[in-house]
Amino acid sequence: MREVVTVQVGGFANYVGSHFWNFQDELLGLADDPGADPVFKTAALDMDVLYRSGETHQGVPTFCPRLVSVGPRGSLGSLSSSGNLGQSSAAADQINVVTWSGNVTRSVSKPHGRNLFLQSLVEEAQSPSTSNDGNNSLKNVEDKNLIECLENGVNFWTDYSKVQYHPQSLYELHGSWTDFDKFDNYGSAQQVVSEWSQIEEMNERLRFFVEECDHIQGIQFIVDDSGGFSSVAAQFLENIADDYTNTPVLLYCVRDPVTLGSSRNQRESITRSLHDAVSFSKLSSFCNLMVPIGPPSLSRSYMSPFLHIQDEKPFHSSAICAAAIHSVTVPFRLQRMGPSSDLAHSSGYLDIGELVHLLSDQGRQNMVTTLDVAMPAPSLTDRDAMGNIVMKLHSLTPEISDQDEDPYSVESLVVHGALDRGGQRTSISQVKDSICSAYEGRETKPKFSHLAVSLCPLPIPLPFPSIFRSNIGRHGEILSNHPEGAQPKGSLDIESIPMVTRLRSSSVILPFIERRSGSLQKHGVARGAIGSQVLRDWGFGREEVEDMGEHLAKLLLPFHPEMDLTSDSD
Amino acid sequence: MSLRVLNPNAEVLNKSAALHMNINAAKGLQDVLKTNLGPKGTIKMLVGGAGDIKLTKDGNTLLKEMQIQNPTAIMIARTAVAQDDTSGDGTTSTVLFIGELMKQAERCIDEGTHPRFLVDGFDVAKRATLEFLEKFKTPVIMGDEPDREILKMIARTTLRTKLYEGLADQLTDIVVNAVLCIRKPDEPIDLFMVEIMHMRHKFDVDTRLVEGLVLDHGSRHPDMKRRAENCYILTCNVSLEYEKSEINAGFFYSSADQREKMVSAERRQVDERVKRIIELKNKVCAGSDKNFVVINQKGIDPPSLDLLSRAGIIALRRAKRRNMERLVLACGGEAVNSVDDLTEDCLGWAGLVYEHVLGEEKYTFVENVKNPRSCTILIKGPNDHTIAQIKDAVRDGLRSVKNTVEDEAVVLGAGAFEVAAKKHLIDNVKKTVKGRAQLGVEAFAEALLVIPKTLAQNSGLDTQDVIVSLQNEHDRGLVVGLNHHSGEPIDPQMEGIFDNYSVKRQIINSGPIISSQLLLVDEVIRAGRNMRKPT
Repeated sequence: MREVVTVQVGGFANYVGSHFWNFQDELLGLADDPGADPVFKTAALDMDVLYRSGETHQGVPTFCPRLVSVGPRGSLGSLSSSGNLGQSSAAADQINVVTWSGNVTRSVSKPHGRNLFLQSLVEEAQSPSTSNDGNNSLKNVEDKNLIECLENGVNFWTDYSKVQYHPQSLYELHGSWTDFDKFDNYGSAQQVVSEWSQIEEMNERLRFFVEECDHIQGIQFIVDDSGGFSSVAAQFLENIADDYTNTPVLLYCVRDPVTLGSSRNQRESITRSLHDAVSFSKLSSFCNLMVPIGPPSLSRSYMSPFLHIQDEKPFHSSAICAAAIHSVTVPFRLQRMGPSSDLAHSSGYLDIGELVHLLSDQGRQNMVTTLDVAMPAPSLTDRDAMGNIVMKLHSLTPEISDQDEDPYSVESLVVHGALDRGGQRTSISQVKDSICSAYEGRETKPKFSHLAVSLCPLPIPLPFPSIFRSNIGRHGEILSNHPEGAQPKGSLDIESIPMVTRLRSSSVILPFIERRSGSLQKHGVARGAIGSQVLRDWGFGREEVEDMGEHLAKLLLPFHPEMDLTSDSD
Repeated sequence: MSLRVLNPNAEVLNKSAALHMNINAAKGLQDVLKTNLGPKGTIKMLVGGAGDIKLTKDGNTLLKEMQIQNPTAIMIARTAVAQDDTSGDGTTSTVLFIGELMKQAERCIDEGTHPRFLVDGFDVAKRATLEFLEKFKTPVIMGDEPDREILKMIARTTLRTKLYEGLADQLTDIVVNAVLCIRKPDEPIDLFMVEIMHMRHKFDVDTRLVEGLVLDHGSRHPDMKRRAENCYILTCNVSLEYEKSEINAGFFYSSADQREKMVSAERRQVDERVKRIIELKNKVCAGSDKNFVVINQKGIDPPSLDLLSRAGIIALRRAKRRNMERLVLACGGEAVNSVDDLTEDCLGWAGLVYEHVLGEEKYTFVENVKNPRSCTILIKGPNDHTIAQIKDAVRDGLRSVKNTVEDEAVVLGAGAFEVAAKKHLIDNVKKTVKGRAQLGVEAFAEALLVIPKTLAQNSGLDTQDVIVSLQNEHDRGLVVGLNHHSGEPIDPQMEGIFDNYSVKRQIINSGPIISSQLLLVDEVIRAGRNMRKPT
């Protein structure tokens, strides 16, 4: 077993993470549930890769995510930072202050109410036996209420989390008098982390999880890079790069579609584009593979025939990102094959190091990859759609080119839980065959493509948003005859869905990098640029800005091999 | 006004409104922190929205926990927090002093004085007070063997304002011994060399000083000893785990056999390093009952742990970066980055190494070391908020001892200095100032009294009685402070109540600066989008 430690930094990253861990929790539950689809048991993913087992002070065994989550203070809602659903604040009155014999003033802030969903979790924990038996239809009604309550209001990422976190996992960033609502650019966070050695505390938390790993395969890092948290993450990543030199870091930069809204004026838009450039440059220099995620709008994307997503709800958009990230992690958790044996339910084990090596060291030597996803995946053995699986993949990475033909591209494709036309699970070899034939039909083939297949589909946990259109079936199959205009379906109607995702290193990412490099040159480096003052305010000297510019230019190099010689001359 | 033309949305507060906004902000902040001050202050329990508890009596912590919105209050809070960053204490006093200066200034301004005169007076008074402080301070000669008693007194004064007496007195010895342990003659004290470790276990009074180091992790092999005496300690930063070397990143293999060979070749390198360590162990421990402990900053994988364990070595992986430094100071030897030239000189020594397990948490104690130059304060407590509060208090205690050692001076506490300084300003300084700046000096002198006043108030005494009796004693030439139990004047020297010289100096320095700035504001313009938040 090779462990993965997960780090989440920033608001939206935690929204994504919460969905991600809900999937894992659901997988754990389904593997033990005799009534569930047996595929979850037979094709189970190795959960020890992401989870750690431990015990509490009282000796109760625990099984918690190997996770460090960093968020602004107050972002945990009704969850206390020790990972428990906090004791009611009324209990504070009974607490004796043992360290002070004088007067005590209590200042109790208004407790965050628990929504129906969290209440039901607490009840379940208190009386675990009653949840299984009892009136089934009643339970159904209750669940409907829970889902509705989540659809109507999610204020914190913890509102829909059903996972038990380790006390070391949740870290709240304190910023004295920093308004985290306005934490919207790279500069705003520079001080926060250095204040009272918060970064050291974050390092300590991470060290706790890394220390107990025997063979850590890598760190997956999810960051919300739309604001000041990219600076927090950059400093964190720099420390990680120092402390764990040979541990590969896989970085997902996620963004809430709403934050990309239009800027009010020129100054603001310059600040935004400088932020994008700076954070991209900083983050990319401390990780091994970078995956930008965050299309401007999911509701109007190609997924809209199947999914009904409301962009303004981070609860919705984060679910898609989380599903994609879950799929990416599937190969890390497959069983490792011997050289000749072929397993019936999975193939294509890959660890993070190998993935990084595969995508960034071969072909173009480019470390910024695009993430494409088909959710739900079309049926693979569909004769008409044959060869279309690759066409059905839609990118979650913003600002990429449509030009799809790159003979040097390298990709890693993950197919899990795929169905055939009749709604039956396709076997591993069938998937392999159909992917191969799909590529054979194409004119430009990628230089290298790695395929990982598992039978285990993406489970849909109860707190998953109702985003499926009515043409999706119970197991994620695409129905041809379906009622028009019905309500979107949610976790009560859909158990699981098949997924295909692809990480690809190819020239389609070029505009993404070029734009950032360009805006840094134009607004920051060029003589008399308007943005140079902004960069100074963020604490970057002239030289540092130039270094960042050079770093971005270096990222562009793989796409312009002819430039290589000229830039090396000095 | 031209601004109105440029931005019709801008709000402008004119002269007196602007001034009163600033004054009110300062007074408001003062009100919040007032009850904190002194050994009779009130402890604050903050309960968050999720029911998590924070206990604090520290102005610094409280300021940081408060969601301050008012820009003036933020300015004051930043000054006060900066005070803590530079000198480690005095946050509450700074806020009180600034608030009081503003209050006194308000009175004068309402009577028609221009703020300029006050500011000039503040400036004169500040310099005079600083000069007076130089004369007033009690020099402490540090030399090779610092006077332990005076250090204890100052630590006790600080700790007693944060913790109840019994615990404060217990911690007093701990912090003084800790600072003396890490002190090197003629070098600044690096408080990072005191590790502060906590365990959620037992009670607050079980807090103790460990001469040596406590690590928050244990060995990861079931067969390694949990307790060993007479140990050589090898502190190293060497990777003892198999990882794909980056040089071979482009290396491809065409058969399983080749792959196996490659893997085993790389494995061999790691094994080689482990063998070096074992060789050294065999050399130094041969024929004796001595033990060998490896503490590594990098990882150690199970095969390496296995080899080490079979050789009877205890090994810990992924130690904190800072512990590398601390270990060397505590045990001796040196931190090695490669195993190529290992000799006995690289090794440190500890009389006892043992592991303590609490649930899933493991602690390793490295104790009974010779000549430790680094130590650990092990804080115990029944719950997290108690531990956190003791931790804050210990930090303050350490800072106060460090300040004393570096200042080579202390100042009489319990309000004695403030009363004396006021007398000096009124009697001697005021006369030397011409014109209305005198009012500024007077206001400054009056503002100094906020410290004894607040101490009295927090102790439930009558403020005026106390101030009058203190001033009477000072007029008779006696230097006295306030006894917070009885309200009677006492001699702080006899009672052992001392404050830090540098803290006092900093308060007197920074308070007037920020107050002057605020007083000279005659217009407040709100134009930015950020300012328009309804509060």
